[in-house]
Amino acid sequence: MKNTPDKKDKKQEKVKTFKGPGLRSQNSPQPGHAKHKWRNIRWAVLLFFNLLFFASFFFDIQILEGTLSGSRLLGFHMIDPLAAFQVILASKVIMVNLVIGVVTIFLIYLMFGGRSFCSWICPYHWLAELGEKIHQILKKKKIIKNHAFDPKIRYYFYGFFLLLALITGYTVFETVNPVAIISRFIVYGPSLMLIWVMALLIFEILYSRRAWCRYFCPVGVSYQLIGLMSPLRIKWDKESCSNCKRCQSVCLAPLVLTDCVNKGKSEYVNSSLCTRCGLCVDICDDKALSYGVKYLDKII
Amino acid sequence: MTEKESKRPISRRKFLKTSTLVVTGTVIAYGAVSVPLLKRNRLLLRPPGALDEDTFLASCIKCGQCLQVCPPQVIKLAGISQGFGIGTPYIIPREGGCILCSGLPCVLACPTGSLAHDLSLGKDAEMGLAVITNPDTCLSVLGVNDLVYRLENLEKRKTSSSDQTALKEILTSLIKRLTEDEIKVWQRKFSLPEISDKTLLKIQKQLENSDLKWIINFVGSFSQAQKTCQVCLEECPLKDEKPIVFVKRTNPGTGQKYVWPSVRKTCVGCGVCEEKCPTPVTSIKIIPRLKWSEKQAGNQTRKNNQT
Repeated sequence: MKNTPDKKDKKQEKVKTFKGPGLRSQNSPQPGHAKHKWRNIRWAVLLFFNLLFFASFFFDIQILEGTLSGSRLLGFHMIDPLAAFQVILASKVIMVNLVIGVVTIFLIYLMFGGRSFCSWICPYHWLAELGEKIHQILKKKKIIKNHAFDPKIRYYFYGFFLLLALITGYTVFETVNPVAIISRFIVYGPSLMLIWVMALLIFEILYSRRAWCRYFCPVGVSYQLIGLMSPLRIKWDKESCSNCKRCQSVCLAPLVLTDCVNKGKSEYVNSSLCTRCGLCVDICDDKALSYGVKYLDKII
Repeated sequence: MTEKESKRPISRRKFLKTSTLVVTGTVIAYGAVSVPLLKRNRLLLRPPGALDEDTFLASCIKCGQCLQVCPPQVIKLAGISQGFGIGTPYIIPREGGCILCSGLPCVLACPTGSLAHDLSLGKDAEMGLAVITNPDTCLSVLGVNDLVYRLENLEKRKTSSSDQTALKEILTSLIKRLTEDEIKVWQRKFSLPEISDKTLLKIQKQLENSDLKWIINFVGSFSQAQKTCQVCLEECPLKDEKPIVFVKRTNPGTGQKYVWPSVRKTCVGCGVCEEKCPTPVTSIKIIPRLKWSEKQAGNQTRKNNQT
């Protein structure tokens, strides 16, 4: 968080182009030429899976049945870990299917990078990304101001809602979970709860940039934990980085690139908050950022 | 954007202030919305195998997989207007009752066991119990044949597009009940070699071209016209278990004899009778989660707090 210059680290740096840890780039981020390779792939994947949910029910093709809280991919149970934990705490029974579902999710996202759920699958995230664009336009015109919250609120929410499930014996969060509400909307049609999702989006557009995903969403926390273990990460090549910091200006999760780009401490983006969205990979003109597999890369 | 934020980390005070505000705000808002709805205390008819209401609400993950596999597609997901349990599955029996299909796919699809997996046969389900809520309109009690009743209603309303489906339904059940002699009359009237579901459309077209008088006259002489309505039993998926028996009773005041549809213990509360009941307001109704013993004790309604 703090960016005090660390002289020792600076001396260790031999590459001239690297301006050193803690130093903000003197050149303000230049508007790069629009290159949206990974973003387009990501949006295509997101829409594909959500449409698959829709089509599985609507056209009865039965490939991916259910919603994002619980589904079956070709018969394999998949259950959102937070929802599963809530059910276990609320009903005080551990059901086999829940365990199977959570383990399947764990294994899948272990391969694909944990919080990649957020940017690659979650339909609310997609709406929030569009809302963010409006937010940025309004902010540029000085109509609105951005208000930041503490990103740790999500962890308090996580604990709070699990506790609430235990106390009330009801999966309280699942009734207000915008991810589940939108997912149910996609598959089963609209419900009145969409008003709450709309309110949340308007709050994000007018008051705080992508606030739900950035500060509050406890659904992402489970995937964050998986992401800590997942080897699929953004790789940073120190040699070719010109330290322009444009990657940080587009990053969906503030500060995850700090350890690499600012401090030069790590070769991979190790923060669990990284959603592996690829926006930084897209914007980087130096080809310093790419997708990598943490342990495998070294072996090869 | 990111830079600006990281340069200006939020002070502890501000964080405490905002986070407490957000948390308390959420709790209060949630309480304010849910408490009045909670107080309604109205039970919904759940799919077969549902655990008792509190456990069901605790364990249902709201994925809707039961709804996806439901062959007659009668399971719906509750919205905010259904009160507590947004996103949980329920059935509106009047719009479509559960047919207790073999294998109970909804139970198999449930990932959390909210629809208990130990249920494998429809006749063992305990969804609720049918109760004759409107004996004043019940055609059995009134001694009226359902086909006669429905045809008369159809004539009163005059034909419109929705009536064609109603006519089709009437004809389908009428054809099933024709005696051999009556089939011969029909064959002559419509000059068709066969009277069955296959020729139904042709019959319907001929009837639409003329008016409905012929068929109404026919029903007047119909062999089963004197037979009172038994739709609830005939449509029941557990027909063989005889969940409804028609008992002859005498009104102690007037001495008038009538038939009373008596619901027996084998009724599981699937709701098909309520769906098919021919009266405009259903005469038979499913009381969700009502148990036979409770009904015997005189209860006709049931609330969540009774366990």
